Amino acid sequence: MVFGICHAQNQGENAGDYKKRVLETAEIDILSSYYSQDGNNAAVTGGLGTEELTDFTGTFVVSIPINDDDVLTVDAGISAYTSASSSNINPFDKGFADPFIAASGASQSDTWFNLTGNYSHSSDDRNSIWSGKLSFSTEYDYTSLGFGGSYTRLFNEKNTELGFSANVFLDKWKVIYPYELRPFAPGGRGLNDFLFIENTITGNPDYNPSFTVLTDENRNSYSFGVGLSQILSKNIQGAFLADFVLQQGLLSTPFQRVYFSDVADSFIDNFHLADDIERLPDSRFKVALGGRLNFFINEYLVVRSYYRYYFDDWGINSNTLSIEVPVKIAEKFTLYPSYRFYNQKAADYFAPYNEHLSTSQFYTSDYDLSDYNANQFGFGINYTNIIMKQHKLKVGLKSIDLRYNYYKRNTGLSAGIITAGFKFVVD
Amino acid sequence: MIKKIVFAACIPIVLSSCVAVKGYEKVNINDPDMELSEKLCDRNITIFHSYREAAVGANGGKTGGGCGCN
Repeated sequence: MVFGICHAQNQGENAGDYKKRVLETAEIDILSSYYSQDGNNAAVTGGLGTEELTDFTGTFVVSIPINDDDVLTVDAGISAYTSASSSNINPFDKGFADPFIAASGASQSDTWFNLTGNYSHSSDDRNSIWSGKLSFSTEYDYTSLGFGGSYTRLFNEKNTELGFSANVFLDKWKVIYPYELRPFAPGGRGLNDFLFIENTITGNPDYNPSFTVLTDENRNSYSFGVGLSQILSKNIQGAFLADFVLQQGLLSTPFQRVYFSDVADSFIDNFHLADDIERLPDSRFKVALGGRLNFFINEYLVVRSYYRYYFDDWGINSNTLSIEVPVKIAEKFTLYPSYRFYNQKAADYFAPYNEHLSTSQFYTSDYDLSDYNANQFGFGINYTNIIMKQHKLKVGLKSIDLRYNYYKRNTGLSAGIITAGFKFVVD
Repeated sequence: MIKKIVFAACIPIVLSSCVAVKGYEKVNINDPDMELSEKLCDRNITIFHSYREAAVGANGGKTGGGCGCN
């Protein structure tokens, strides 16, 4: 966002001549998206099971000029999802238990709320920008409190921009375990639990997982970012971005199952009873290095390119490459075809369904941490009302964006996301 | 190979840091599609990537907070 504000300031050159407001009028952005995915490698069911999930998100972003130099941005979002895999935290609540069939329990859906406030201040010469941010988000089993700040300095006649940012997130889990493991927690009734009395265990009837409960319910994240952008010519500009993130605490997901190849398998109906939950180290250090290069080809065509290299101390490294080619087809309309490639090497602790060993210290069958590559194809259209003649109630529609992206992994997961954005300005 | 490409891409940025394009020459640079940040309408796409992929950061998106567990 800071880079976006700086860009706006570039338009007001020769700041020494007069002091242009950082933001002329209040702006309101309304965003909504519908996301749908499907696959057969759900982490909740140990790497084998339905990944069907839908999510609807609505977001309001209001930017208010407090004075010539300061801008307050308030960002409020709500996201409602239904997840077949999450429903299988308890697959025994109704009917036939099967990892490829969604259960009907409370965990099949949830709602996420987010509120973020950001305050930015620009110096009189518009060459320095400070900002502070506070955020809070919550869902049934997770809350997150975040705060941070950034400083950006423009120099070389606003051709060069150097920015630093730091953020802290203090998160807390409400730990939920797979249903069949709960009787084996301290104080549980083991195989005398009602679950095992009411249902017949097939395969190994002496189901006895070596399950211990988690002791840490917090997850803290500390990030530091550096950004350097440079105008290279009248038609080219680029940026280098680096983020360093340290995470500590409970970094696994408590309701994700793991199955061991050296433990006899037990089932209720078609559902494989968990040998343990996912176990991962309590620390992770991530480094992301990225670059953007944008080319203004002519008044009809722009090329936006992006590359990122990522690695962490869990053994993952990845490459992200994307290109977007905005094509102005009319004064008010622009088309946005895009392509994105992503690949990653698996975490050291990943193995597919039923391939872990019980002697290991850490293990996961979450395919989000597996070896894979993904292709994404996108298309969008933008309508921008430059003159904004049709103001009603002192609010004018400035632009409309519609996007569709299709995402496909070579592991089988596919997803589609439709987004719509409306920008209004307030007189 | 990829690292070399990135390194090569960074060279012109460093070498041209002394070049100053004047304000009146920035008409094309100031085109909204030339912004060096992701567009707001792409934010939910970036969030979905941060849930489904291990890599985060260096894209202007969030670098922490939230479980991303669904």
